Amino acid sequence: MDLFPLRLSLAVSVAATALTLAVGLPLAWLLARRRFPGRDLLEAAVVLPLVLPPTVLGYYLLTLVGARGPIGRALGAVGIDLAFTPKAAVLAASVASIALLVKAAQAGFASVDTRLEQAARTLGRSEWQVFWSVTLPLAWRSVLAGAVLAFCRAFGDFGITLMVAGSIPGVTQTVPLAIYDRVQANRMDEANALSLLAVGVVALLLVGLGRLARLRF
Amino acid sequence: MLSLAIEKRLDGFVLDAAWEAGDEVVALFGHSGAGKSLTLQCLAGLVRPDAGRIVVDGAVLFDHARGIHVRPQARRLGYVFQGYALFPHLTVEANVGFGLAGKARGARRARTAEVIARLGLTGLERRYPRELSGGQQQRVALGRALAADPAMLLLDEPLSALDAPLRRQLRDELADVIREWRVPTVLVTHDLAEAFQLADRIVVYEEGRVVQAAPKSEILSRPASERVARLFGVRNILRGRVVDASAGAIRLAWQGHVLTAANSPSQPFLPPRGAEVAFFVRPEYVRLVRKDRPAPEAQNRLTGRIVGEVDMGTSWVLRMAVDGGTGRTSGPDLEVEVPTMVYEMLGLARDRTWQLTIQPAAIQVLPSG
Repeated sequence: MDLFPLRLSLAVSVAATALTLAVGLPLAWLLARRRFPGRDLLEAAVVLPLVLPPTVLGYYLLTLVGARGPIGRALGAVGIDLAFTPKAAVLAASVASIALLVKAAQAGFASVDTRLEQAARTLGRSEWQVFWSVTLPLAWRSVLAGAVLAFCRAFGDFGITLMVAGSIPGVTQTVPLAIYDRVQANRMDEANALSLLAVGVVALLLVGLGRLARLRF
Repeated sequence: MLSLAIEKRLDGFVLDAAWEAGDEVVALFGHSGAGKSLTLQCLAGLVRPDAGRIVVDGAVLFDHARGIHVRPQARRLGYVFQGYALFPHLTVEANVGFGLAGKARGARRARTAEVIARLGLTGLERRYPRELSGGQQQRVALGRALAADPAMLLLDEPLSALDAPLRRQLRDELADVIREWRVPTVLVTHDLAEAFQLADRIVVYEEGRVVQAAPKSEILSRPASERVARLFGVRNILRGRVVDASAGAIRLAWQGHVLTAANSPSQPFLPPRGAEVAFFVRPEYVRLVRKDRPAPEAQNRLTGRIVGEVDMGTSWVLRMAVDGGTGRTSGPDLEVEVPTMVYEMLGLARDRTWQLTIQPAAIQVLPSG
């Protein structure tokens, strides 16, 4: 059996989780610790990908990064194609999963006693150091739980990926797309095997890592 | 040296405080919500005042007019939070050394070990805060604040979360550490005993304002106002009319009697004749005149009848009705405190009517306010 979809899905999910952490952690910290104009709007925008139809998200994403979209054209000018490449699959998976990470990390940061951060400040630590030495170490369980959920959501994305990355066998066809493809082609044995693999990956992460690190989802 | 004058407006609360202190222990005393902790947060730079100026040892930490607001990181003030706020994910050693991040590793380690030894925490270096007793936690919090050799120590209600027996023990320990380390200290408290045991100077807060700032010896003998006196639990706060006032004495009409109160020759209080003033009489300074001896010549002689009494263990508090021209009979007029020995010797349990004398120095007239 062709294991390319599994390898691609794992690679895309890892990359998407990394991207999600890089963008989502600062966002979560801002929402948990700062008051600024437009904060409510930003908080709503973060949750949007959870509730909008994936095809709607995929459509807007495609208008941005497609060959004729503003971002797509800018990238094309420097020789980078995004739409219908594995990179687009990473982007799609990130959009799908970032809300899960941000909400979990935000709750984690908010639960850290602000007096501990104040104490660190009076002891000479900069905001950056306060985050790394106090806030994150005390919220790591929530952040890890969010990252695990985000990874699983990224692994399972179908609609957004289909819209911006397509379902090109051997290029952008991730596990969920491959399963759909096999069912369409009436290759039920392969669909069955891929489905079992997907369940296995997610179960391993949620149960295994969840147990190991005593995470609460 | 600390000089502070700040204003801060919050929702439904205005802090407008100014006071100064030398290299001593200052207690900010008042009810909760009076603005004491907010003052401390402004001092530490955790809250930015709306106006004013804060100077510590000649260094301007805040000056609204000149746009100066030194970050808390750069103020070199050791802050001990209510409940201590120890880092739960770090060991005792890492907590104490937390403020030494800028130092070389060797110097950091040496200083941490020195502070741990000085505070009697040796052997607990690898423990986590949750594994420590209340007293050990307090010492770690003090060590963490003192390790970087701060210009001042700021203590925010350090003992208020504790129950009474532990509280007394930690109060003694805290007093020892403050004396031994000789670091100028600002302490926020709503506990009178804490303020008196730990502080040299007391700044009294009420509703966002400073109502008195004075050495602690002065604050009980000369409260700035009736409100301060009530805040400090002063008993026998009475009201009378001024007969006349001079630098030497103030004479007061009260219950048909004329009482003579000592005035302060250096800072005399001269209320106009006929003004109604509050004054208080120290219950432990009222003397009962022995009936088996000739009556002494004394000012402020009254006759009182015991109408109630409370056994305080080593003393008795007598509630006395004073005979006066008003003919008022309801309720006691004066509290008198006598040692238990005197109570028994004079047979106060049986004999209820006594001549009383009060020294002028035991009567304190309170400026209005």
